[in-house]
Amino acid sequence: MKQVLEGSHAVAEAVRLAKVQVISAYPITPQTHIVERLSDYCADGTIKARFLRVESEHSALAVMIGAASTGMRTFTATSSQGLALMHELLHWSSGARLPIVMAEVNRALAPGWNIWADQTDSLSQRDTGWIQLYCETGQEVLDTTLLAFRLAEAVNLPVMVVLDAFFLSHTYEPVDIPSQAQVDEFLPPIIPRIQLDPANPCALNQLSPPNIYMEMRYQIHLVMQAALSELEKFEGDFERIFGRRYGAVEPFLCQDAEIILVTSGTITSTSRQFVLDQRAQGEKIGVLKVKLFRPFPVEAVRGYLKNARKVGVIDRNFSFGAGGIFAQEVRAALYGLARRPPVFGFIAGLGGRDVTLESLGEILTRLKTLKRPDPESIWIGLQEVQLAGPKS
Amino acid sequence: MKAKNNSIRLPERLLISRSYTTSESNKTGSWRYLMPRYYEKTAPCSVACPAAEDIGRIQMLNTQGFFKEAWDTILVENPFPAVCGRICFHPCEKVCNRGRFDEAVSIRALERFVADTAQRYKLTSGIEPMAFTGKRIAVVGAGPAGLAAAHFLHLLGYDCHVFEALPEPGGILRWGLPRYRLPLAALQPEIERIRNSGVSIYCGQAVGRDFLHSAGETYGAVFMACGAQRMPLLRIPGEDLPGISEGLAFLCSVAQGGGPGFQGTAAVIGGGNTAVDVARCLRRLGARAMIIYRRRREDMPAFAEEIELALLEGVELLELYAPIRIEKEGNGLRLTLQQMKIGAMGADGRMRVVPDENRIRELTVDQVFKAIGFEAAEPWHVPEAGAVSHLKLRQAVLTQGANSVPVVYCGDPVTEIQSVVHAVASAKEGAMALHVLLTGGTAAVAETLAAAAVGPGGSLSMEAFLKGERLNRSSHVVAYEEINIDHFQYAPRMIQPRLLQAERVASFAEIDLKISAGMAIREAERCFNCGLCNQCDNCRLFCPDLAVRQEDSKRGRRIDYDYCKGCGICVVECPRNAMVLEEEQDS
Amino acid sequence: MLEIRFHGRGGQGTVVASILLANAFFKAGYYVQSFPLFGVERRGAPVEAYLRLDKQEILIRTNVYHPDHVVVMDRSILQAVDVSKGMKKGGYILINAPAVPKGDHWNSAFRPAWVDATRIARDNGLGTRTHPILNTAMMGAFARVLGMPPMEAVVKAIQEEVPDQVEKNVQAAKDAYLAVEGFEI
Repeated sequence: MKQVLEGSHAVAEAVRLAKVQVISAYPITPQTHIVERLSDYCADGTIKARFLRVESEHSALAVMIGAASTGMRTFTATSSQGLALMHELLHWSSGARLPIVMAEVNRALAPGWNIWADQTDSLSQRDTGWIQLYCETGQEVLDTTLLAFRLAEAVNLPVMVVLDAFFLSHTYEPVDIPSQAQVDEFLPPIIPRIQLDPANPCALNQLSPPNIYMEMRYQIHLVMQAALSELEKFEGDFERIFGRRYGAVEPFLCQDAEIILVTSGTITSTSRQFVLDQRAQGEKIGVLKVKLFRPFPVEAVRGYLKNARKVGVIDRNFSFGAGGIFAQEVRAALYGLARRPPVFGFIAGLGGRDVTLESLGEILTRLKTLKRPDPESIWIGLQEVQLAGPKS
Repeated sequence: MKAKNNSIRLPERLLISRSYTTSESNKTGSWRYLMPRYYEKTAPCSVACPAAEDIGRIQMLNTQGFFKEAWDTILVENPFPAVCGRICFHPCEKVCNRGRFDEAVSIRALERFVADTAQRYKLTSGIEPMAFTGKRIAVVGAGPAGLAAAHFLHLLGYDCHVFEALPEPGGILRWGLPRYRLPLAALQPEIERIRNSGVSIYCGQAVGRDFLHSAGETYGAVFMACGAQRMPLLRIPGEDLPGISEGLAFLCSVAQGGGPGFQGTAAVIGGGNTAVDVARCLRRLGARAMIIYRRRREDMPAFAEEIELALLEGVELLELYAPIRIEKEGNGLRLTLQQMKIGAMGADGRMRVVPDENRIRELTVDQVFKAIGFEAAEPWHVPEAGAVSHLKLRQAVLTQGANSVPVVYCGDPVTEIQSVVHAVASAKEGAMALHVLLTGGTAAVAETLAAAAVGPGGSLSMEAFLKGERLNRSSHVVAYEEINIDHFQYAPRMIQPRLLQAERVASFAEIDLKISAGMAIREAERCFNCGLCNQCDNCRLFCPDLAVRQEDSKRGRRIDYDYCKGCGICVVECPRNAMVLEEEQDS
Repeated sequence: MLEIRFHGRGGQGTVVASILLANAFFKAGYYVQSFPLFGVERRGAPVEAYLRLDKQEILIRTNVYHPDHVVVMDRSILQAVDVSKGMKKGGYILINAPAVPKGDHWNSAFRPAWVDATRIARDNGLGTRTHPILNTAMMGAFARVLGMPPMEAVVKAIQEEVPDQVEKNVQAAKDAYLAVEGFEI
């Protein structure tokens, strides 16, 4: 049934429908509405789950690790500084092969203190072995959360469902909430492959010397790669039951596009409007939305971008000393191609700055005028900044 | 394992480290070449205490709220916790290892707290005396030494008759100590406890010299505990003028009835506790009191804390003045004082004083009190030189005439320092020695007593003498460096609550006020419990091999040597050196 | 697409008003998008909320810079905030006030409308005397001024989304619908 639903509540509804058994989280803006709704649901019995209150995000994820090790379906949510505090245990949860699902609301890292949208928090966790799925709409948030449980439990890796602060987390829009029967069909109860059992005690994750550690890492790499086809398979199931499909990447009017914008998160949505407006004026442009960031869908990205004349990657994130993170990944993906389009990196919307149709217009203008990409990213809408350095 | 690009199959088996084997199969004990074990040691306070009180254990019991057990632990070594908890000069606190960390534990105040608690709840001691030996012993004098001797002899299985010349028992405690230091209400229950344990005290029964010879008909031995009450002469002109009194007699009259009001000026000659007590009593009676001492304040035998309190109460102190003459002047007395100065270091380590040329000072007062120390009142109160067997112990003398019963001399005439706790130590030593003499002969005395010594200091433990648990401890005295101070937090020493300064001289009410159980427990928690296991559990918590096991025993834990690899962490992390790491014995 | 901006103070239900109105439009067949000003405002501080509505899916996900209409929950805001900032010409400014407020906070480019939502809320026993709950009354007035959403949708949204005192809230919306003044019919 369609309802006007806040993005945060779309996450909570998905967690309810997924019949999660253990929840633990520490509140942080802009994730708060997710866990507020879930704690209400646990308190009033809507969800039959244990909600464990903890003193930090690190502990919240530690609870997840403990609970998942007993074979429970688990969920947590965080943002920004909270995710950074979890860092150590992010590695632990993937290394321990626990199918934990987390909603991560993209928020800028401090200082300066900033609660607004920025992807650097989740992207700086790209090497932790978590699958990362970026969302564009409230509906996608709900659907992706359901997919995340299915995927995590199939490959035994944790999954992060990523949504923009405020632009998604605090925005109300119509969302179709599926029935419990539909969800049960898509997502059966967890069949755990790791399950501590007092009747048959064992030690987990103890010393792993050099003669085995490398193989353990390689297996994680393999299942990461397998996650690409697994996701595709589950999206097939999902589409059959719910009638919706997203894909690891989603092309929007890319078929004949000379210029393709590569986007993620809510910037995609505005970009779709922008492409429609520009197409109406005869511009041959399209958008490639990247939903799956880890594993990075190299083949799909190559397939959709290889025929474009120019590619512009819009990053609401930045890796200091390098550039936009999606741009780096896209360049690396295209590098193996004999004929590849030039990739222009644009930085926009850091710390919640709005990426408007006008911002996108400026990006298009730059793309049309620039011959070849500068190794440096192009910062959009930037006021003049002095380089602070020693006076000579 | 090979990655194929398009259709990667999920692996059937998760590659994670997971073990169903118990780590107990790895008997790490086989690695061991050093072996830890529990081995309790000796705390410096218990060595410094002449009565060898087991102070570390007492504080451990206090922290757990076991006040009765703490009280019994004191009583086995000292029958006067309510007294010593108030007036002891606490040599224990001077050597307290905690003093090197922040401040010494307030051991005396805790002893008083335990005694007050026992009195408040009218507790009876749980110490069981040894079986009755069938022997009866006479004790001459019901002062601290005599009463303590009766207490210890009773514990050792003897029937005691105590003879006291004065109408009430207690000696110096009853007659010589001012009430503001030792209230009667604190003293009486201690004497009553000794009496109730089965000791007969006969008051108003002066004993003469002949008794030493006739006692054998009734008694198996005689304990001489007559104390020292006679004041030596000043040996200056005018010392027998009217208006000149002896300090102890004055204190006795104050103890009996509070003494008359006194408005004038009084000079007190002397530097011991009696001099200070006299001066402070005079202040309470309304007089101006001046202590005249021939040496400096720091040389005074009186306890420093008592001097400090006396000065706060308005007592004046004239240091480095020796009286050379007393004359009558009108209704008063004129004192002629010789100014003294510091001379060379004496053989005893004290600075000698010598007259400072002809510098003389005169002083007119209404009354003069002499308080320059005491000696035995009668010659037969001290050991007879011609005895057949004359065994000089540390704090007592054991003699046996040719045809008479053994006579033990204890208390002030034979102790190195005249104090209550020394009297107790003396009585204990004498009682032990007598018991060995009567059961094993003279030859066994020295060795048997040495076995009951606590540390190298010579303080004797009755608990150890009775083959108690203290015998299991090493005589090694725990040094501050052996305490693992990482396990302790700074905490200031408790502040003894006292009467307001202005109220002190207004009455003879006790100055030191009671402390609460909470305060006592907090203070007892400051104790390092040097060398003693206080069940802190660090050995178990720190053991990396879980080789320290809990068990239902007195210690509560044991080392499982199947798994103890001898790393020694338990010994290092024992905060109080109650463990030892030794080389593995070949089995 | 219409864009509407709500002004109020933290704790007055400004954000809830935009959400309720979003629900009413949704029930009337619109695609809606409602969100607060992304900030850290506390109770009592001036806050804003936004509502977008369209007959087709709304793709744009940016802040609202040029609202078609403005709703002001608390007329004291007029002293602190330029409520007409960025407004498109000819738009309505619906104010919670007993009469048209004086002053030159807006010019002839905008059309003021006013309703005493505070009195209506109190009369219907909504909230407390110090903190009346205004948002349902403002919804009713809004429906009258813009001619949409239809009152049936407003009533349905209140019935489905308001947790308690449903009848009183519906009545407040209806009262305000009738009481609102200043607009051109």
